[in-house]
Amino acid sequence: MKRIILTILAIIMLPISIFAISGEEIVRLADEAQTFKTAKSSGEFQVTDRFGTKITSFNSWARGESESFIEFTSRAERGQKILRTKDEIYLYYPDAEELIRMQGSALRQGVLGSDISYEDMTGGKDRAKQYTIEITGEEKVLGRDCWILKLTAKTRTVPYPKEIVWIDKKSYLVLKGEYYTKSDRLLKEMEVLEIGIFDNIETAARTRISDTMKSDSETVLVLKTFKANVALDNRIFSLEELW
Amino acid sequence: MKFLISLAFKNLTRYRRRTLITAGAIAVGIMMFIMIDSMLRGAEYESVRNLKWYETASARIYNSEYWENRHQMPLDINITDYKEKVQKLEEKGYTAAPRISFSGELILNVIDFGEDGSMPIEVTAIDPQRDFEVFHFKDTLVEGRFLQPGEDGILLGSWFAEDIGAKVGAWVTVVTRGNGGFYQSMDLEIVGILNCPNPNVNRSLLMMPISTASDYLEMEGAATEINIRLADNANVKAETAKIKSITGNNSLSVYSWEDLAFDFLAIAEAKRGGSSMILVLIFIIAAVGISNTMLMAIFERTRELGMMRALGMSDSSIRLTFMFEAMGIGLIGSIMGVTLGICINFYVVNVGFDFGFMLRDIDIGYRIQSVMRGVWNFDTTAIAFLAGIIITTIVALLPTRRALRMDIPSCLRS
Amino acid sequence: MSFRIAKTAFKNISRNMRRSILSGTAIAVASMSIVALFALIGGMSQDMKNNLRNFYTGDVRVRNKDYEEYERFNPVHLTVNINKAGEAISKIDGIESWVPRVSFPSSIYIDGSTFSAIGTGVDLERERNYFDLDSIVVAGRLPERGKKEMIMGAVLARNLHLELGDKITFQTMTADRSTNAITLKITGLAAFPVASLNSKYFWMPLDRAQDFLNMPGEAQEILVKTSHNIKPLLAAEKLSAALSSSGTELEVKQLEDISMMFGLIRMAETVYNIIGIFFFLLGSTVIINTTMMVIFERMREIGTLSALGMHGRELVKLFLLEGTFISAIGAAVGVAAGILLVAYLSKTGIDFTDAMSGMEFEMSSILYPKLNAGKTIFVYFYAVAIACLATLIPSRKASKIQPVEALRYI
Repeated sequence: MKRIILTILAIIMLPISIFAISGEEIVRLADEAQTFKTAKSSGEFQVTDRFGTKITSFNSWARGESESFIEFTSRAERGQKILRTKDEIYLYYPDAEELIRMQGSALRQGVLGSDISYEDMTGGKDRAKQYTIEITGEEKVLGRDCWILKLTAKTRTVPYPKEIVWIDKKSYLVLKGEYYTKSDRLLKEMEVLEIGIFDNIETAARTRISDTMKSDSETVLVLKTFKANVALDNRIFSLEELW
Repeated sequence: MKFLISLAFKNLTRYRRRTLITAGAIAVGIMMFIMIDSMLRGAEYESVRNLKWYETASARIYNSEYWENRHQMPLDINITDYKEKVQKLEEKGYTAAPRISFSGELILNVIDFGEDGSMPIEVTAIDPQRDFEVFHFKDTLVEGRFLQPGEDGILLGSWFAEDIGAKVGAWVTVVTRGNGGFYQSMDLEIVGILNCPNPNVNRSLLMMPISTASDYLEMEGAATEINIRLADNANVKAETAKIKSITGNNSLSVYSWEDLAFDFLAIAEAKRGGSSMILVLIFIIAAVGISNTMLMAIFERTRELGMMRALGMSDSSIRLTFMFEAMGIGLIGSIMGVTLGICINFYVVNVGFDFGFMLRDIDIGYRIQSVMRGVWNFDTTAIAFLAGIIITTIVALLPTRRALRMDIPSCLRS
Repeated sequence: MSFRIAKTAFKNISRNMRRSILSGTAIAVASMSIVALFALIGGMSQDMKNNLRNFYTGDVRVRNKDYEEYERFNPVHLTVNINKAGEAISKIDGIESWVPRVSFPSSIYIDGSTFSAIGTGVDLERERNYFDLDSIVVAGRLPERGKKEMIMGAVLARNLHLELGDKITFQTMTADRSTNAITLKITGLAAFPVASLNSKYFWMPLDRAQDFLNMPGEAQEILVKTSHNIKPLLAAEKLSAALSSSGTELEVKQLEDISMMFGLIRMAETVYNIIGIFFFLLGSTVIINTTMMVIFERMREIGTLSALGMHGRELVKLFLLEGTFISAIGAAVGVAAGILLVAYLSKTGIDFTDAMSGMEFEMSSILYPKLNAGKTIFVYFYAVAIACLATLIPSRKASKIQPVEALRYI
């Protein structure tokens, strides 16, 4: 009896899954939704730790999925820059006479003491290749319908062997993410607090990130302006231009 | 000659008291020399033993590229298929134990430790069945039990446990990067606490089963090192060469414990310089005492000397007589000193001096936890014994020569 | 009567000049080595205390009241206002000097590897008043105020394969809890008298450090040295009161409460003194030995003297006086020689650099022995007393023997 019901159920369900979008496809679309030919934005990091909240403002430029350039404008960090090229991260400080190239264990540090590590900034967005993706359910986040996707790493070279992400069905924005160790210990949480519309493009205006290894700490990333597909001088992303 | 010896002997017994007093000074010097040397050697001996027993083993195999990067404790520069290599070594009669060493972050929770916290740590994953054959942790358990293969358990050094307030049965989390770079976390139960006599180990020891670590870190049968125990009297250099040929693999390198503990040995070398200063000081004071009494003995007897010469005894015979006499005193002193030294050394070797209050907090380089014990050393005893005799004899030469330079009448007059 | 005995004793001493010098020398050598040894021990513990005071604790240390609680998180932002603290300090009597120190853990990136070092921003003029700043420079010169320069611990420089004139970039957390980096030129190499400083620290000008860390007018700690007539504890209490009356809540601590090393040094002193006593005993045997020998050698003389009618107590007195004179002179010479030796060594120092490397001891690599007046005087009287006692035993015995018996000794 039970088996019959199950079979019927399976037959009814089947057409749906044939036409349904696959996990890989969702992740690919999500990545696409966040990748622009070029983009310019400004905003601030609000870093809260046991000693209080610190606000750092920045301007940022991006090209494609792997190049970006951030310049800090708040008083304490004025003049500091971060350049991310395809494979490297460089830091520029006004008082330093050389660029600092981040690599190895240095990548595990938080950017400006925040919960976002330099490592989190790197890495290609080709997650469909690196992870096995399955849709595990649906849920409303920020009042929007989302898929819940479980990403399990195929390789050992990604930092987070397991991720659970909530992706908006409409905008393909990742509204929530949980990042785990191989043995399912939560390491990092990401959550969009507010969605903004800039020039008809929907993107996360306020995102909260917290590193569970640092107690009493969280970082809110606020986007104040955002403009996609702007004309950018190519030299922005060159090392020479950091000086 | 026989006559000279018996004359010297007669003189010795005639001036019994002086003989005894001079011999006493020599004895005290020798005794101190033996004792202090015993303590210093003991500290070094024990340090070396504790190094080999708990830190370095006799020799270690690493991937050839590991040494350069050892401070980062990489997991991807490893010894693949360690089981096969260990088996090969064992077939050739070596005792080998594989280990995986990695660094990470220890997370303490509020329930077991009263406060949330984390700290950087280094973990050693051991083969519970083999490790005891190479290292000597067997007798160090003070609480709980040892590891079982494959369990999610961890052992702590007692000082480390004390520092973080750990109890047997509490759970800790270790967060680290697995082989390849992925984040991994392990919830481990503290199954036992070890009190390791090597303070550097006891301060930071964390041990888990290699099979557990291998699973969590996805080592795929690889270990970061294979440790080997050699017999105490083994020729380490020759053995490492032999081990190298057994592994027959160019990607692996063999390091002797001396290579691994080069910084300790450098310090020990320097310290030996400092220690010998103390010994030299002791010897100087003792030598002053000896020479003094010998000088006195000879000067006081200038008259006697003159008499002997007047009676036609040759200078060399007189010199010999005095030398024999001094030698006799030296011999008596040395026998007394060595006997006393041995007696005191019984205490130094078996009971020792407790410096625990200092060694808990300060690293003085020695791998000794609390009690500094001496060690029996035949060489030192023999050297002290001979030195006692030789120095006394040499010291006697100078005043004899001076006395012999005087003419007979002035000798007799004084 | 006793004057006559003293005179005889003197005569005896000068008559047997050689013997007297010999026994005197033994006493001299023994007391000299003991004086030198105690000075070495004294120098050692004094040195450790001084290093702790100069580099870590001062006599009194002022820090932000929350600093200690969060110390392990590098709270660079928990600072002390230098001017305010300076004002409060100026109100207190018995302050010798004080220095502000800015300290920040930092990362150095060289050829793809990360190293860590601890930077200290120092007010160079004030440091000069505080301790012998120039003595730490082994090569090059101190950094100059306002310049992007530093002096680096020689061992740290060696470990990182750096040389004078090299430029190094450091990254650190600032007082805004942000990050910043700066490039500094190595203008000097320092031999800090403390091994751990040598292998981890670099010093840079205070103003540059404050600017770089975004904390103008502030420091992480202020170290205060008090003059001898005020106890650190009292100074700490007064300073604390002065600071809180001006409305700044800071943590003010005296040296003994900051570092347990002071307690340990005291324990170590005990251990060293035990070693000292060992040497003392050894020295004593030399003294006893020589003195006893002198008496036994003179049995014949004793016989003559008693045959001439000198008896019992007088004989004892005679020998005792003789022994006292000789040992008083011997010990005086020895102690003087010891003082000279120590004076020489306290100028040149004894180099322990090799023996000390790798040790986590707050001891200088070069040790300057230090005389302790009390102990030196003690050594003098002890040596004399031991020698006298040593004379007492045989001379008492000698006084009891019959002239004929004594004469039988040659």
